[in-house]
Amino acid sequence: MASTVAVELPHGGFSFDNCKRNALLEDKGFKAPKAYKTGTTIAGIIFKDGVVLGADTRATEDTVVADKNCEKIHYISSNIYCCGAGTAADTEMTTQMIASKLELHRLETSRKPRVCTANRLLKQMLYRYHGYISAALVLGGVDSTGPHLYSVWPHGSTDKLPYVTMGSGSLAAMAVFEDRFKPEMEREEAMKLVQDAIRAGIFNDLGSGSNVDLCIITKDKTDYLRTYQEANLKGVRQGTYRYKRGTSAVLKTEVKKIVLEVIDTQVKPQAMDTD
Amino acid sequence: MSILDYNGAAIMAMKGKDCVAIAADRRFGVQAQTVSMDFDKIFEMGPHLYIGLPGLATDVQTVSQRLNFRLKMYELRENRKIKPKTFMSMVSNLLYERRFGPYFVEPVIAGLDPKTFQPFIASMDLIGCPMITDDFVVSGTCSEQMYGMCESLWEPNLEPEDLFETISQALMNAFDRDAVSGWGAVVYIIEKDKVTKRLLKTRMD
Amino acid sequence: MTERYSFSLTTFSPSGKLVQIEYALAAVSAGAPSVGIKALNGVVLATEKKQKSILYDDQSIHKIDYITKNIGMVYSGMGPDYRVLLTRARKLAQTYYLTYQEQIPTAQLVQRVATVMQEFTQSGGVRPFGVSLLVAGWDEDEERPYLYQCDPSGAYFAWKATAMGKNHINGKTFLEKRYSEKLELEDAVHTSILTLKESFEGQMTEDNIEIGICNQDGFRRLAPSEIKDYLASVS
Repeated sequence: MASTVAVELPHGGFSFDNCKRNALLEDKGFKAPKAYKTGTTIAGIIFKDGVVLGADTRATEDTVVADKNCEKIHYISSNIYCCGAGTAADTEMTTQMIASKLELHRLETSRKPRVCTANRLLKQMLYRYHGYISAALVLGGVDSTGPHLYSVWPHGSTDKLPYVTMGSGSLAAMAVFEDRFKPEMEREEAMKLVQDAIRAGIFNDLGSGSNVDLCIITKDKTDYLRTYQEANLKGVRQGTYRYKRGTSAVLKTEVKKIVLEVIDTQVKPQAMDTD
Repeated sequence: MSILDYNGAAIMAMKGKDCVAIAADRRFGVQAQTVSMDFDKIFEMGPHLYIGLPGLATDVQTVSQRLNFRLKMYELRENRKIKPKTFMSMVSNLLYERRFGPYFVEPVIAGLDPKTFQPFIASMDLIGCPMITDDFVVSGTCSEQMYGMCESLWEPNLEPEDLFETISQALMNAFDRDAVSGWGAVVYIIEKDKVTKRLLKTRMD
Repeated sequence: MTERYSFSLTTFSPSGKLVQIEYALAAVSAGAPSVGIKALNGVVLATEKKQKSILYDDQSIHKIDYITKNIGMVYSGMGPDYRVLLTRARKLAQTYYLTYQEQIPTAQLVQRVATVMQEFTQSGGVRPFGVSLLVAGWDEDEERPYLYQCDPSGAYFAWKATAMGKNHINGKTFLEKRYSEKLELEDAVHTSILTLKESFEGQMTEDNIEIGICNQDGFRRLAPSEIKDYLASVS
């Protein structure tokens, strides 16, 4: 209808233009590169007043640590957050899309979004892609019906549990939860438990590392504690490896001056020259 | 063999004091055979904004052209210069659109904010997962070597001149241990009032 | 004559007019008045929402709505048409945010909504929107407020202050007399109420007008109790 006229709007959805070429290259023995993975230990528990979510901060590209301090707890809405494991781009984009959909839903309904709504949007989207979008998520939040915690699997199945873990470090983290979880914990106790679960992942799973991020959601407040604990400190460098200026041989230098745009001009009154 | 190793490339970006640097090698090869030594892998996207695209050369050029198109449309539509972070989202979107049939490039972005002149560097995987850091980013066939060099050479608050030496040495010493990248290098130092482009004398083997 | 050139709603008449757009503007002029005033530190939107029956529940449906946290909108004209545009505007804002990870600037949003309105003057099987919009926004980058009007034709204007709907000519004359460049948001709210009062029939209460303000904290619809306070201080 209207879209046939004039304006060109970006049409959503994936483009499969390169698929044939890429498959051909694959046939010739040129492997497709690996995308960033989160590796990841992510976990969440329900406590007395709400939900605690936790995550490590390592991103890996095959066996290389690509990012030492990445953000794995994603914003969904002010009262719902979501930890992501799997292919980093997928977790990032999926949570962004759901956050956007939920914001529209919030505006249309004039209500705080519910965790079960976020969960349903996520599972419906992931199921549509049959697991090819590899996002394994821990979704938690507090809404009008209380605290809720879900684990969402890449194929679109979900679990609703009082304590969950995901990612390559999930076994290490779950061991901690199985040992020490109990219902109706106090806030401090719950934070300590999640922190310890993430630490178990950081120190026992090679795909997880660096710091502990926490996010505590209660009925009327959300505390996103980025770098709650710096679990691994880099040693302080004693010397310096700074090269002397002029070390690198330069063949040619071009300097491009940037003329700054004048945003504001001030005219100052000056005394008249009367000499 | 990974398709990223087909043409060879090494690119890195570093933050300094009120400045950023981005550097790349100049080789274009077809597997082991070097074809040219003046191949551009870093593209100017604005007075203070540069993007480095290591990967499959055909995709390097296609992606740079597509980005140029999207960027120009943005700047015409909004009548303002793009912020580095916004540009990063634009690149990320372009790549993620092709999630299931990607371009084989792993971009590196370096720039200063057009208004506040805050330094910004970021890198991305081939499907557009952004990664913003406060020190350095690397990408290319010898990323492991580059990570090693940067981890030891980089320090915070380097002046533009020192940043140039640091990034040059980090890059050259990394790609000297990589057969498919090297053969000349180019370094851009981006400051508030000027951009200095230097071509380096390197090993040619 | 007119009827002959209304066979398709979006066809020119021989005199070069798109009569449907003029009819749409007539629908706007017959609609409830709304006012927008830009102050130094924000914008105010105000509108009349008088109901025909006392049985009406006046706090459940609103005329002033959010698009993003920094942008709000009000209309004069046909309510149902407005809701279509509101939904589109919100979607456009979200699409922009997903693409650039940055809140849409007010000017961009208005331009895109205007494009939608224009499409409905040129497409087959549709009619133009029977509404004019007032869009108030705060730009985080430029740290300043904006006020725009969007018409059924797809034309849009940036205003310091304006009035739309029934009696908009009187409203504008009133604003021309009252407007000052140094207006603060508080005073602008007062002025907007006074402008509505110019043509208001009967008693003005917190239930039959609606006010939205926009400043560096974002856009916000005032609660009835706040409007009551303003009304008390105006009279």
